[in-house]
Amino acid sequence: MAHVSVFCFLASYIVAFGLELSRLLGRSRISRLVMVGFGLAGFVAHTWYLFNRNQQTHLPPLLSSTHDWMLVLAWVLVLFYLFLTLFQTFSKQELAVGVFALPVVLLLVASTYFLSQEPITDLAAEKARHGWGMFHASLLVFGMTAGAAGLVSGVMYLVQHRRLKTRHAEPTGLKMPSLARLAQTNRWSMIVTYFLLTLGFASGAYLGLQPADGESKVGLSDPAVMISIVVWLLFGGLFARLVSSRTPSGRQVAWLTIGGCGFLLVTLLGLQVVTGSIHGAAAGSAAPRVSTPAESAGVRS
Amino acid sequence: MNLQVVYCNHLTTDLALRERLAFSPQQLPDAYAALRAAFPRSEWVVLSTCNRVEVYRAQVDPEPSPSHQDVARFFADFHRVPLTEFFDDLLERTGPDVVRHLFQVASSLDSMVLGEPQIMAQVKDAYSLAQAHAASGPLTNELFQRAFNVAKRVRNETALAEGRVSIASVAVGDVGRRIFERFDDKTVLIIGAGEMATETLRYLKDDGASDILVCNRTLSRAVTLAGEWGGKVRPFDQLDRWLAEADVIVSTTGADPCLVSVERFRAVRSQSGKKPLLILDLGVPRDFAPAAGDLDDNVFLYSIDDLEATCDTNRKLRSKEVDKALVIIEQETEKFMAGLYHRATGPIVKRLREQWRLVVDQETARLFSRLPHLEQADRSEIERSIEQMVNKLLHPPLEALRDEAREGTPHGLMDALRRLFRLND
Repeated sequence: MAHVSVFCFLASYIVAFGLELSRLLGRSRISRLVMVGFGLAGFVAHTWYLFNRNQQTHLPPLLSSTHDWMLVLAWVLVLFYLFLTLFQTFSKQELAVGVFALPVVLLLVASTYFLSQEPITDLAAEKARHGWGMFHASLLVFGMTAGAAGLVSGVMYLVQHRRLKTRHAEPTGLKMPSLARLAQTNRWSMIVTYFLLTLGFASGAYLGLQPADGESKVGLSDPAVMISIVVWLLFGGLFARLVSSRTPSGRQVAWLTIGGCGFLLVTLLGLQVVTGSIHGAAAGSAAPRVSTPAESAGVRS
Repeated sequence: MNLQVVYCNHLTTDLALRERLAFSPQQLPDAYAALRAAFPRSEWVVLSTCNRVEVYRAQVDPEPSPSHQDVARFFADFHRVPLTEFFDDLLERTGPDVVRHLFQVASSLDSMVLGEPQIMAQVKDAYSLAQAHAASGPLTNELFQRAFNVAKRVRNETALAEGRVSIASVAVGDVGRRIFERFDDKTVLIIGAGEMATETLRYLKDDGASDILVCNRTLSRAVTLAGEWGGKVRPFDQLDRWLAEADVIVSTTGADPCLVSVERFRAVRSQSGKKPLLILDLGVPRDFAPAAGDLDDNVFLYSIDDLEATCDTNRKLRSKEVDKALVIIEQETEKFMAGLYHRATGPIVKRLREQWRLVVDQETARLFSRLPHLEQADRSEIERSIEQMVNKLLHPPLEALRDEAREGTPHGLMDALRRLFRLND
């Protein structure tokens, strides 16, 4: 288990996704069980990997590196996916959530190959002691998770809407929730995403105002912070449009959700890949050295 | 052991004749009483539904048992229908074919609508009634219990019961439930009061619809339908108002020219707003102009042809599962018959073993009384040797009996064993 790598759980999720797709051709209880098995195996490996990283960096994954942060985001999404899949397996509903959710998970996990594994800054270590850093990072992760859920349900809405409008029979392996349920999920995911991101950015601003070493202080000049503020403002614009429309159709809400959440995910993901860090300007400067597994096992001096 | 079924169904007989031969729930007590009186050694189960009339019989003794003609005569006497009018339509199956047939019926392979779920409940009810009238027995009990398990296995291991195959069920279950999460907060407008309206309403009520408006040109029919389903009658001349109020519209008038043109519907939508609306246009010709469905994103217009296409797709999907189901039924039939045959040989095997045991006990007692000096260990050894000897001697005849029992009740061999070992004595 000490040698669990990103590839281990990425491969498990790819197999689970492949099995989800194969169910479009024909359903079988065995293939569903195997699919859930691969999903669970991937999740266990994923959890173990994050635990190992925590042991190596002596920091919670949310505060350690962009690489770990992104894996936590994927981990929360997989948790939701597995919960829904297992719940549906027992209730014999078997909705094709994985067909839409797993690509997002795969994208997030695959993107970690391009992200820095170095701890972000000493900011993390210092502010984590006060809990604000953890609070800030958690809000952003949960906000992004809600955004990803909105993206998934928005796409599901459009697929289901198109099928119903064109009067096609529901494929056996592509059962989806009702339009009413999806529209409700879209609306709520927009609200929750906006609420959590606002709080997340506000707590980030508070952290930025706190006195810290000059080198590690994250300010408005940080391009990552600037882009995040722009994303937040644009998302806020879409949110305002959703709230101000008197009777938006489900399809409009779906497009708004996909636009807003998709833009949010792609921008923040792209930003991290390009800068290599959540707080690009500060990366690397005052980072503590990542300890080796052997060192982690020993007593810290 | 002997099994028999005498039956007619939707594949062999027309509805008119089936109706004459069917047993209503009120007639069943008399039917069972007549069967028990005429054939007291047999166990009986009568399965009478709109698609089939089947009389199952099981009997432990091989002879004498009622023939095909005897059961047919019972039908003729009970329903007072001349035998010549239906004898050729009344089929008979015996032995393993009965088991196979019942398994197919219970698994809905023999139903008019392949995979329909009601047949299972009907078979269960039929069996319960037979029990209630003391007409069934251990053999039919085993047969029917196994049939229920087989039907369950077929349902779980194949997709035979998946996908809806009637227009109304597809309309509500496959379309309605994919648009709305629930119907108990929706207003359902029924236009027309025909059979299709009634059937669709049944599914909507099952799914919780409670606010039902009925609009029909003939008021009396609207009142009847509304009364039957707890709906409210609304005047037909204010149709636009009810169209705007509804979340689900079921239209079955088949008016020519069509009842709701695009212009009329546009006016309705401007009144109702852009709320999601499902229109099930089940009239032939159509009641709604097809272009009405394209007015906005939230209108979902389905005609009878659209729904029929889904029914066809689902029927084809079910048909693909038939072969899988038949394999399961074949396995289960073989297993059931093997168990049945094997059990038929049980009493004779038991008697044979008991007889030999008696001989062994007598002879060892005699031997030990003559050799009192034997130690307990020696006695045990002698007893074990004799036991093994008996087992080895009995093995070939019992093995032969077991082999014979795989193909059917081995009456000849059982008779031979009885005579050779004087088991009847």
